[in-house]
Formats: sequence, C-alpha cells, structure tokens
Amino acid sequence: MPNRFLAQVGQTALVLFFVSVASFVFLKLAPGDPVSLMLGSDYNKDSYDRLFTELGLDRPWMVQYTTWLGNFVTGDWGRSFVSNEDIFRLAVMQALPVTLCLAAYAMVLALLVGIPAGVLSALKRDTWMDLCATGVAVFGNAFPSFYLGIVLIWVFGVGLGWFPTLGFVAPWEDPLEGLWYLTLPAITLAAWYIGLIARVTRASLLDVLGHSYILAARARGEGATRVVWVHAMRNVLMPLTTTLGLQLGGMLRGAVMTEVVFALPGLGMMITAATLNREYTVVQAGVMLSGLLFVLVNLMVDQLYTWLDPRLRRLA
Amino acid sequence: MDHPAVAEEDVPLLSLQAFSLARGKVDVLDNVAFELGRGQTIGLIGESGAGKSTIALAIIGLLRPPEVALRGSIRFDGVELTGLAEAQYRQLRGNRIGLVFQDATAALNPCFTVGAQLAEPLSRHLGLRGNERRQRSIELLESVGIGEAALRLDAFPHELSGGMQQRVMIAMALACDPQLLIADEPTSALDVTIQAQIMELILERVRARSASAIFVLHDLALAAQVCDRVVVLYAGQVVEVAPAGELFAAPRHPYTRALRACSIELGQEQVLAPIPGSVPGLEDLPAGCRFAPRCDRASAQCAQTPPLVSDGIRSVACWHA
Ligand SMILES: Nc1ncnc2c1ncn2[C@@H]1O[C@H](COP(=O)(O)OP(=O)(O)O)[C@@H](O)[C@H]1O
Ligand code: SF4
Ligand SMILES: [Mg+2]
Repeated sequence: MPNRFLAQVGQTALVLFFVSVASFVFLKLAPGDPVSLMLGSDYNKDSYDRLFTELGLDRPWMVQYTTWLGNFVTGDWGRSFVSNEDIFRLAVMQALPVTLCLAAYAMVLALLVGIPAGVLSALKRDTWMDLCATGVAVFGNAFPSFYLGIVLIWVFGVGLGWFPTLGFVAPWEDPLEGLWYLTLPAITLAAWYIGLIARVTRASLLDVLGHSYILAARARGEGATRVVWVHAMRNVLMPLTTTLGLQLGGMLRGAVMTEVVFALPGLGMMITAATLNREYTVVQAGVMLSGLLFVLVNLMVDQLYTWLDPRLRRLA
Repeated sequence: MDHPAVAEEDVPLLSLQAFSLARGKVDVLDNVAFELGRGQTIGLIGESGAGKSTIALAIIGLLRPPEVALRGSIRFDGVELTGLAEAQYRQLRGNRIGLVFQDATAALNPCFTVGAQLAEPLSRHLGLRGNERRQRSIELLESVGIGEAALRLDAFPHELSGGMQQRVMIAMALACDPQLLIADEPTSALDVTIQAQIMELILERVRARSASAIFVLHDLALAAQVCDRVVVLYAGQVVEVAPAGELFAAPRHPYTRALRACSIELGQEQVLAPIPGSVPGLEDLPAGCRFAPRCDRASAQCAQTPPLVSDGIRSVACWHA
C-alpha cells in the first residue's frame, strides 16, 4: 500500500509539473502583450520599460517560470487588469466553491438516479422496465448537455416556473435557496452521468450476479434484496468507481458548459469571461486550478478504489 | 434443533420422487428418485454435466420457477419443498440444509471478511449478536481446524489458502447444525495433497452431529469409501442406486461398470482410460436408453427406455443388467 501510494503521489507531482509548464508557456504564447494590457491608456516607452523590468520579463524564462511557480504556490496569483481584484481570491474563494457545489450536487443526483435505474434494469433484464431504463440512459448519454440545459430552462423555468432560470445563490449562505437555484444546472450536468452510471451498474451487476458467491450467500439463507444491495452491489462499486474516475475530467468540462448556460459564477464562467477579456493571467490561474482539481480528484478516486477493493488494501 | 411435529424418525430425511427439472425446453433432470435416511450419507456420481450440481441446487431451493420448471416431489423432513414459499425456504437454507460449494475461492465474497460472511447464518437463523456471535464464529473456525481463529475472522478470503477457504465454507455450511449437508465436489478445486484431509474433516463433522449428507463426487472408489449409498446419474437420469460397498464390488449397470474401471485404474495410478464416447447433449438425446451409443451390451431392446427396477435393496435401469 505505501508503495502504491508513493507512486501515485509521484505521478501526481509529475502531472502537476506538466500542467504548470503548460499554463506558463500558454501565457507566454498568448497574443497580446501583458505590459501594454496592464498599462492601458497610460502607455509610453518609459513606463513600459519600467513595468517590463518590474515584472521580471527581461529575465530568462527559467527564472521567470520558477518565480511564477513560487508565487503561485504561495497564493500570490497577481491582480486582474480589469477589476484589479486579487486573482487568488477571485478563483479560489469565489469561483471554485460554485463549481464544486455544482459538481457535487450533480454527482449525488447522478448516483441517486443512475444506480437504482441500473439495478432495476439488471434485475428486470429484457422486460419493458429494462427497456425504459436503458432508453433513458441512452437518451441522457446522447443529448448534448447545453441543449438539455436550454430545454430545462424553457420547460421548468420559463414554462412551469418551478425553478429559477438564471443566477446563483450561495448554498453555504442559504442552503435551500442555493440548492433550488442549482437544481436545473445539476440535472443538466448529471444527465450524461446518469446514463453512464445506469449502464455500468447494469452490466456490472449482471456480471456479479453470475458469481458463485452470490449463490453461496443465498445458500446461507440471505434474502434476495440483501443479496443484491449488499453482497452484489458492494462488488459493483469497484467497476463503477473506476469508470466514474475516468470520466471526472468530463465532469469539469461539463461544468464549464453548464455554468455558461445558466450564468453561474463558477470556474468555467470565470475562464470564459477572462478569455473574452484577454485576461490571460486569470485564464492561466483557472487552468492551473482546474488541473490541480483534476489531479486531486483522481488521486482521491484512486485512494477510494484501493480502499474499496480489499485485495488491493491489504497486500502487506 | 426443532423438528416439525409431522416428522417421525421412520420418515426418511430427504426423498426425491419422480423429480424432473427443465430449463426452457431442455430436461436437465428426468424422473430422479432416491431417499436419504437420517444420519446417512449418499453419494451422487456421474460425469460432468450429468446433473449432480443441479440436484444439489434444486434441493436447497436455488433453482426454482420461473427460472426452471419442476415436476415431481422433494420432501425434506416430511415437508414438500417444491411448492414451498420463498420465505419458508429461506428458513431452511443455511439453517437446516447446508451447502458446501466446489470452489471455495469463487464461493466467498471477495469484499467481505471471513467473519462477516460466517456471521450471516448465525445472526439470521440463530439470532446471535455481538460477542456471543463472535465467540461462536471462533469455535466454528476452530472446529474445522483453522488455527488463530480470532485473527482469521478479520481476514479477507484472498488472504487465505484454497484449503483454508474450503474449511471456512465448511464451517459456514455447518454453522447452524444442519440436518442435511450437501457437499458439491468439495475437494476437486483443491490441491491433491489436502483433498483427503478436507474430505476427512467433512465426514468427521457430519458424523459428530449425526447429520445426513449428500456428497457429489466423481470418483466411484472414494464414494464407496465415504457413503452409505451411491446414486449413479447419467444424462439427467438415475441409472443405478445401491449400497456403496455392493455397488463398487458388483456394479450392474454398464455405465457403473465403466466408471468403476476408471476408478480402479485411477487408484493404481495408471493412465486414466475414460469411457469411450461422451455424454450426449441434453438437446439431442437418443431415444430409449441414453447410454446406448456408448454401451457394449446395447441390443434392439435398448431402443426402449429401461425402467429403474428395484429389488428392495438396489435398483438399476438397464435391460441387460
Ligand atoms: N446456468 C445454466 N444454464 C443452462 N444450462 C445449465 C446451467 N447450469 C448447468 N446447465 C446444464 O445442466 C446440465 C447439468 O449440469 P450440472 O448439474 O452442473 O452437472 P454436473 O454437476 O453433474 O456436472 C448440463 O447439461 C449443463 O449444461
Ligand atoms: S439398457 Fe441397453 S444400452 Fe442401456 S445400459 Fe443397458 S444394455 Fe446398455
Ligand atoms: Mg457440478
């Protein structure tokens, strides 16, 4: 276990290194000159040269990179040219929690709907119930999420008026109102995962139910419900975690799309707005943060997987 | 154990009568009949695919409609099992009927500790909880020869050897002192060196509790050693039933004779001379005697199905036995 863990930490560090180099190079290659952008109207040769040296842009790239990385690690991410706000605050304190809430809400929804749907279609295999559940799964998988978002806004927001159509209330300030505002976005983001989870659950459960340990549990007198939900589903959790872990990057991508459709002030919205404003330092921070998030989540999934599979847990 | 009032000591513990089981259109078992007395052991013998495991699963109620179609009767301790409600059947499984699987590695859930799995029948059927249950689990593991039992309870199946896993299965099947233990080829997935030990262990545990047992085996010589009676199955039908010693000394059905020839050669560690030909597929069985294509005594009469004829002690289904 410790070896596996160390290997993962090493791997994570390596990925983070590449992400940091990539976002550094991205800033260097981005069109437009940061100095003239920062100076704006107050532009002349003198002030340009002064700021150029002040920002360390005359120094070699290596030095610039390490300085930048050092600043990044210590939370000194610079200030927005547009709002003059501290970028660390903007990204980590304001945008990140929104994205995390959206993703977590969507994941909970996807699990709550996807797992029962998958179990139902496995148990009622080849009946109309299986057909319905599979149909919904395929639909959720195939329907483009921004389109689904717009449809949901029209039907449940504008048409029925059940949910707010746009905007955001922080769930950490007002949980009920916050969740209410996040529901349509979360459904939009969850739809694809509901399909995925239902399909993986169905296939894995059918596979697991064919094992003799299931028969053995029943031979001990265990009831069918407990055998499915405890003995079998415990084994389904492993392939399910693997598949979901592989698709979490997609969750981040989907969150960006959803935030734009529903005008949620999350990371995706931040990156999109910054790109339109050519605020490359903000974009860079967003990219770094997303990379970090992706890597951390994957590390967590891997730990979860190790913990879920006793055969990996106790190799000592 | 509490016995129902209807059960009397002279009623056999288990009796199958004209029992047939079909998967879809295929008759996997056809007119199977045998009886098992209290404290007795019976052996089920036959090539792979003969229907031995199907009989085991049908008795413990894990092959039931609508998955399969049943005909005939299985009576256990005076109670008809074929129509029994699932809730009542559950009271029997793991409690009054225990099942030991062929491959313990596959039959233990990899995600739960040995203790968690062993605890299930103890809680469900005996209502044991907490420390009492743990104590009973430890005793059970010790009774099947597992050392450091308290430690093993917290082990996951993959942390045990194949032999240990099978001991755990046996402990689990015996957890509630069943009246009937069914062991489906309990040693064939194990290393040859420990097969005898495990067989010895099961026999000893069964005798210690004066339980009845059904052993599914593929070696006639072994069956003759450990069982009181032997039922020989061929392609889903009973072809011969006899006291073990007599069956081995003087097999009457040509198939039993062939099995014995194999068994003796195995015993002398000679090259196995399998019975020529192979078991027919259940979809395209020959009319009449199912063994006819492989039988050296087959005659015109064998195109008719031979009835299972009993002389009171042993029965055989062959026109020329
Ligand atoms: N799950 C199953 N689905 C369909 N047919 C099966 C299944 N299990 C067993 N059978 C068939 O039932 C017959 C008897 O099998 P089985 O009872 O396992 O034989 P044995 O235990 O004597 O080797 C065989 O023809 C086998 O192909
Ligand atoms: S009935 Fe005929 S074919 Fe069948 S075993 Fe007897 S002799 Fe052979
Ligand atoms: Mg078998």
